[in-house]
Amino acid sequence: MATMQTSFDPQCFRVIHPLSDAPEEKCSTEGLGRIAMTPAVRLSLKVLRGYLMVMSVLLVYHVLDLAGVVHSMR
Amino acid sequence: MRVAELTQEAGATPAQGVVVRSLWKKHLLTFLMVFGPGLIVMEADNDAGAVSTYMQAGGQYGLHLLWTLIVLLPICYFVQEMVARLGIATGKGHAAMIYERFGKWWGRFSLIDLMVVNFLTLITEFAAISLALNAMGVGPWISVPVSALGLTLLVLTGSYLRWERIVIALCLMDLTWFGLAYRSHPGWAEVARSTVLPTIPEGGVTGSLIFLILAIVGTTIAPWQLFFQQSCVAEKRLRFADLKWARLDTLIGAIFTVAVAGAMMLVGNFGFQHHIPFEDPAQLALALGPIAGHFVRNSVLLLMVNAAVLGSTAISLASAWAYGEVKGWTHSLHKKLWEAPGFYATYMACVGLAATVVLIPRVPLQLVILSVQVFAGLILPSAIIFLQLLLNDRELLGERWVNRPWNNAINWTIIVVLFALSLLLAAQVMLPHLFN
Repeated sequence: MATMQTSFDPQCFRVIHPLSDAPEEKCSTEGLGRIAMTPAVRLSLKVLRGYLMVMSVLLVYHVLDLAGVVHSMR
Repeated sequence: MRVAELTQEAGATPAQGVVVRSLWKKHLLTFLMVFGPGLIVMEADNDAGAVSTYMQAGGQYGLHLLWTLIVLLPICYFVQEMVARLGIATGKGHAAMIYERFGKWWGRFSLIDLMVVNFLTLITEFAAISLALNAMGVGPWISVPVSALGLTLLVLTGSYLRWERIVIALCLMDLTWFGLAYRSHPGWAEVARSTVLPTIPEGGVTGSLIFLILAIVGTTIAPWQLFFQQSCVAEKRLRFADLKWARLDTLIGAIFTVAVAGAMMLVGNFGFQHHIPFEDPAQLALALGPIAGHFVRNSVLLLMVNAAVLGSTAISLASAWAYGEVKGWTHSLHKKLWEAPGFYATYMACVGLAATVVLIPRVPLQLVILSVQVFAGLILPSAIIFLQLLLNDRELLGERWVNRPWNNAINWTIIVVLFALSLLLAAQVMLPHLFN
């Protein structure tokens, strides 16, 4: 707990470092499975997947080209 | 419900803590206890690549690109605020959240992307250390292994707090940039005008100008920052009540980082005013020696090393935390080496391999730097999309932690802008004469 007022003195506050504090119950993914997505979001992610894969391949090719690897393979 | 609240209700008092007698002291002390991850994530982003980019911007275009930093300030803050909120709400790192909520394919893809781009960035950090210390007379066969050893020892103390305090001290060393900027005697009225009013430099809009603006964007917001801050917040076990202080920490970090970046541009502008051509900050520092004195020369070189060390420790930790989360290993700086071997081995492998690559003769470092910028630019928008989707996950976060509509409007705008810029960056690199 970040701070708490001591019960005997209303003007006294106890400040506790996060690492020394008791753990709190966080939002958990347990039992939730995958995130719920609308068809539009799902489609957008598929497009994103394709975009990233194509761009990554293009980038690798460009870097190999600049490094002279592509030229030496021809 | 928090366990601590239960103990209070039961009349128990925590065994630890500091008692203060006024509200403002309570707020100040709580803030100081929470302070750290926000400053570190932002300032570590002013790494060696950033020093080079900002000084290049000042050296090539004088004060003309100062306005870009003001535009980037809110973007940095809004993105990292979401990360801090997600970290506090879930107590888990970003890689784990993507794995658990989006499945293995996206989890692995994000992790591999992160590890690759981080590794390439680490190489640039060690290259900068080698370059800067070489200019001071220390050869790479000494500077690089010693730096790698120092970076390893930094995390092996078995205490997150010890690591955090040392790194905050390194961040504060960047205050020296303000002194250097002051000594460069820029016209302050012109600085103020260029900061708030975008102007086009002489020569108009060229490919090199666009590339530099894209590089500034790419270096100010990097994918590893998302993973790093969330893991850092989880490591520090920040509580729900700490969110407002974590936000303030992030805001202070963003303002400090942008101000330091501006100071770097002013130092670069000194080179512009004296018509000093340079390709990297070490060259500029050496050229500045006879004009501005040894203090300025050595300060720029040492600050370059400091930037690289800050970047290296944060980036390696981002990789080690993310890999440890996904593998289900113990991944904490609170643990000793033998208690979290996989986590520390990942950190040491990142540092050790990057240092080794730099020592290999004739490695095309310029190509590595270019690849880092483009690759980071490519994956950043997609990484922010996952962050945005997670922050709208009501099933996981409930109404309290999800984004508000205004958050979403701002973040989607940022994502669209970053996508457009990443496409431009990719086009610019692959077709270098596109804008000429």
